[in-house]
Amino acid sequence: MNGPPVPTVELRGVSRTYAPGRPEQVQALRRIDLTLPAGSFVSVQGPSGCGKTTLLNLLGLLDTPTEGELRWDRTPVGLRSDRERSRLRLESVGFIFQRFYLLPTLTAAENVELPMRALGLARVSRRTRATELLREVGLEARAHAYPHQLSGGEEQRVAIARAVANGPGLLLADEPTGELDSGSAGVVLDLLGRVRQARSATLVLVTHNPEVAARASRHLTLRDGQVVADRTEA
Amino acid sequence: MSPARSPTARHARWQSVLTVAALAAAVALPVVLVSVGGGVAGHELASLEQTGYQLVVSAEGLHGIEDAHADEAKILALPEVAAAAPILSVAVDVFNESGNVSPVLAEGVVPAQFSPTLGPTEAGLFPSPLPLGDPNDSARYDNGSYAGRATLDVLLSSTYASRFHVQLGQQVVVSPTINASLGVRYNVTGFFGTPLSLVQPSGAFAAILLLSNLQVLTGYATGPHTVVPDGADTIEVVVSPSAADRSSVIDTVARELQALFPAYTVTTLSSEASQLQTAAGVLTGFYLALSSVGLTVGLLFLALVLVRRVERERRSIGIRRALGVPSRSIAGGILQDGAVLAAEGAVAGVAGGYLVVQGLARWASAAVQEAARLAVFQPPFLAELVAAVVALSAVASIAAVRAAARLDILEELR
Repeated sequence: MNGPPVPTVELRGVSRTYAPGRPEQVQALRRIDLTLPAGSFVSVQGPSGCGKTTLLNLLGLLDTPTEGELRWDRTPVGLRSDRERSRLRLESVGFIFQRFYLLPTLTAAENVELPMRALGLARVSRRTRATELLREVGLEARAHAYPHQLSGGEEQRVAIARAVANGPGLLLADEPTGELDSGSAGVVLDLLGRVRQARSATLVLVTHNPEVAARASRHLTLRDGQVVADRTEA
Repeated sequence: MSPARSPTARHARWQSVLTVAALAAAVALPVVLVSVGGGVAGHELASLEQTGYQLVVSAEGLHGIEDAHADEAKILALPEVAAAAPILSVAVDVFNESGNVSPVLAEGVVPAQFSPTLGPTEAGLFPSPLPLGDPNDSARYDNGSYAGRATLDVLLSSTYASRFHVQLGQQVVVSPTINASLGVRYNVTGFFGTPLSLVQPSGAFAAILLLSNLQVLTGYATGPHTVVPDGADTIEVVVSPSAADRSSVIDTVARELQALFPAYTVTTLSSEASQLQTAAGVLTGFYLALSSVGLTVGLLFLALVLVRRVERERRSIGIRRALGVPSRSIAGGILQDGAVLAAEGAVAGVAGGYLVVQGLARWASAAVQEAARLAVFQPPFLAELVAAVVALSAVASIAAVRAAARLDILEELR
């Protein structure tokens, strides 16, 4: 299943300030200018509190910039209505979280079906595609297991299957291996690489781990809300 | 395979069960009240429709009618009137040949006038013609002198006859008091009414006598020591068969009767039926208003449970919204949850109300049993009740929907 075309994502002078004008004001991002061509694989590194997750949230339309503009294929999308941003997230963005965030009352297959259901796919199509995706991540046999019956690695693989269910062009992974042992982390990263390649999707990977970051072809380093290094491998 | 239930899940399950129970109790109340109340009203209406008379002449309050025989003649003189039956009801004591004495409700009638007042159902319960000897009750009345020859015949209700094994041709003493020496010996010439096996203990003992006989026996007649002449409770008026279905003719007769007896009240059965329907409608409204209190409590409970559910599922809702599930879809899920709980409660309430009525009809006191047996469960009303509760669940869901919409996605994912 392919979603809308993979967009080129641009940030122009984007800032994000929390609690502006108040004593507890925090400027998480400061005037970021960034272009992420379609299909790129970008790692984002930096110390805690440098704005990595804020950047990811802005890219994934979970948050809105307090200043500047976010564009997809030159179309401003950052300040669209909540409803429109939900629709864009559903169709074009796949999130992979550190803590997986599977819904505990749904089985693995039902978790994978969730975005497709929100998109209005027929039940049979959802079932078929969920089964395919679980097979792709090696969990076909665990389709009817609930999250608490899965290992951490298995949960993250289900989360990846869910993230790509609607064929998004932009995959955003926030410390996807942060809670996994090295064995499971390797499996998950291999899988992420495969699904990115299969879909020619853009993958933005936030990580503290240099080994994980090394899998990307472009490396961003953030400090105090600013991009202090932007290195692309030859 | 299902997830093991956590204490929170069990708690949530209990909350749902209690919500359904609260709504069920709120719905059961109007089901019981409206079905029984409506059934009783419907029964009364059906009884009114089955009578053979169309008008009633009566006095205000508890006052009776005087000059009943003379008034009967005046009414019969009206062109559209087919019968005019003065009726006097008095409690008497009846002593039978076996030595038993029992209070009996006696009705004094003019046989030829009384028979046409019986509706098609009732008519089958009485011998025809009434074997009381003097069809017009004119012999003993004798133009108000009460000096004429008495025909001392009595009809007994089948309940009485069955209870005391009274046979045709036997004699009983009918007395205005418990003292048999003040009574008069009557010949049992017939029986009437539903058999004891059908009416059970609820059927009162009754007797029918000639009006003049009962008047003399109980003092409702002109005599040296009485001041109430020719008394009766009411006069039931039957219009000619061709006019029985024409309300304009009945209204005309009513006006003529009112002109004839300005001091008496003249009512038509259609107006009585209308009043009964109005009263039943008011009662139904009252029942529903009363039930709305319970329903409000049930819906408040539902609202609280849904808000608690949203609070409990903040993280799940945040995840769904982060994945792009639209807010309206999440709101729809909450509305659906509310509607399902409300529908379960309403259906359980309808079933519970039905079972309560069946229980009352079986195990309650005799009067309540009788009322419960008349209960009518109208599917359209029950469907409307369930639909109304489900619709109101949308109102109860508003707070939960707003709470879900106000959730900060990033806050919930932290």
